Amino acid sequence: MTEWQLALDSFWPLLWGGISGTIPLAVASFALGLVLALGVALMRLSRNRVLSGIARFYISVIRGTPLLVQLFVIFYGMPSIGITIDPWPSAIIAFSLNVGGYAAEVIRAAILSVPKGQWEAGYTIGMSPGTTLTRLILPQAARVSVPPLSNTFISLVKDTSLASLILVTEMFRVAQEIAAFSREFLLIYIEAALIYWLFCLVLSSGQNLLEKRLDRYVAH
Amino acid sequence: MSRAPRVRTLLGLAAASVAVVALAACSSGAPASSEAAGDDEYGLVKAGTLTVATEGTYPPFTYHEGGAGDLVGYDVEVAEAVADKLGLEIQFEETQWDAIFAGLDAGRFDVIANQVSINPDREEDYLFSTPYTVSPSVVVVNEGDDSISSFEDLEGKTTAQSLTSNFYQLAVDAGANVEAVEGWAQAVALLEQGRVDATVNDKLTYLDYLKQTPDAKLAVVAETDPSESALTFTKDKTALVKAVDEALAELRDEGVLAELGEKYFGEDVSQ
Repeated sequence: MTEWQLALDSFWPLLWGGISGTIPLAVASFALGLVLALGVALMRLSRNRVLSGIARFYISVIRGTPLLVQLFVIFYGMPSIGITIDPWPSAIIAFSLNVGGYAAEVIRAAILSVPKGQWEAGYTIGMSPGTTLTRLILPQAARVSVPPLSNTFISLVKDTSLASLILVTEMFRVAQEIAAFSREFLLIYIEAALIYWLFCLVLSSGQNLLEKRLDRYVAH
Repeated sequence: MSRAPRVRTLLGLAAASVAVVALAACSSGAPASSEAAGDDEYGLVKAGTLTVATEGTYPPFTYHEGGAGDLVGYDVEVAEAVADKLGLEIQFEETQWDAIFAGLDAGRFDVIANQVSINPDREEDYLFSTPYTVSPSVVVVNEGDDSISSFEDLEGKTTAQSLTSNFYQLAVDAGANVEAVEGWAQAVALLEQGRVDATVNDKLTYLDYLKQTPDAKLAVVAETDPSESALTFTKDKTALVKAVDEALAELRDEGVLAELGEKYFGEDVSQ
């Protein structure tokens, strides 16, 4: 079998591994992680010492420890305290927690980047603080946070390859299987990398569209 | 403008979103009850099913047909035959070698079928079935490298091995510097590129490699005494091991093990 033939034969299995594993894993984790991150960001901004302390501690742990260890603690560590979680949910929980830590800082910075005058403006027209936050501040913060959050998401897409270590079959695991059988691991890994890149190109164009859409919320 | 309401709203929002995530996490990851599995005599992870850990990336023992097809291999078929004898369904969980024992310890699998060599270290922590593979480990070098002709010669040399393998231990014991790699394919690449001096692996792996790559410029310069590979269990699985041993004895007597050896290696490797 020539290398070209092997690369050709491997394309669909790899792509399918990406579509059935990598993408759902990344999308689900990012969606959950974003909700978590918003909560953590608001806790971190709150004047309540306990809440902001908890948020600081969480962010510090997530950003300060290897993602692989976080995956292992949830998948291999939890059973020792009687909680056994299946591979897929384990991976989604670990990646969500990870995104939650990184994205919290992005969201916090984005909220702080909205000029203080916007809060005042909200109160002036009789909005409550909660309404001001959701109707005035967050939409503007959203626009600011799109580029850094896209960064987080694109990193996550490639980080999901670590899930192959906790029994999740995603694109990189498929690549390892083909590589082991054919012994052409460099060729196959490069092919997988190109498909990751393809996914990320699609995501980047999504980012551009989203930026244009959110421009409406920015006070000019 | 008062501070209090804003703080309260922020808190409410924060608490709500954390709760949403916690709920989502709980509902998606309902912990598998460990009670449910404990009601049969073998203490299986999943009642009525033998849950088998294997790499899926170690030909010809456990690999995917054609690279992305079904899971096949000598160890895979031996495990299937054993499960069949015990009247159990079989479910393979594919995991990386370096995490395979962690998964067994964590109670995620009933057994490992992955050419696990029996050695005293492992016997302290695990139970083994009767062996289903007997084969030596070999030192593989580049053709024409005459600086290594025995395990002793590995002293001060560099080899490539996967970290938790028996071969890693053999190389370390011989005094080699060991580079950690994912598996055989990477070890051979490093060897052929002249970045390591040797690699230690199973003779059957090497022979299979020669079969697939007839023009490989590698040579075997030393062999250990044959080592035995067996199905591996945690210490609490005595009843299961006993049943598996009976199944293996029957499979041996019926010639099934010999047949599987013929199929994958052209010879019976079970004794």
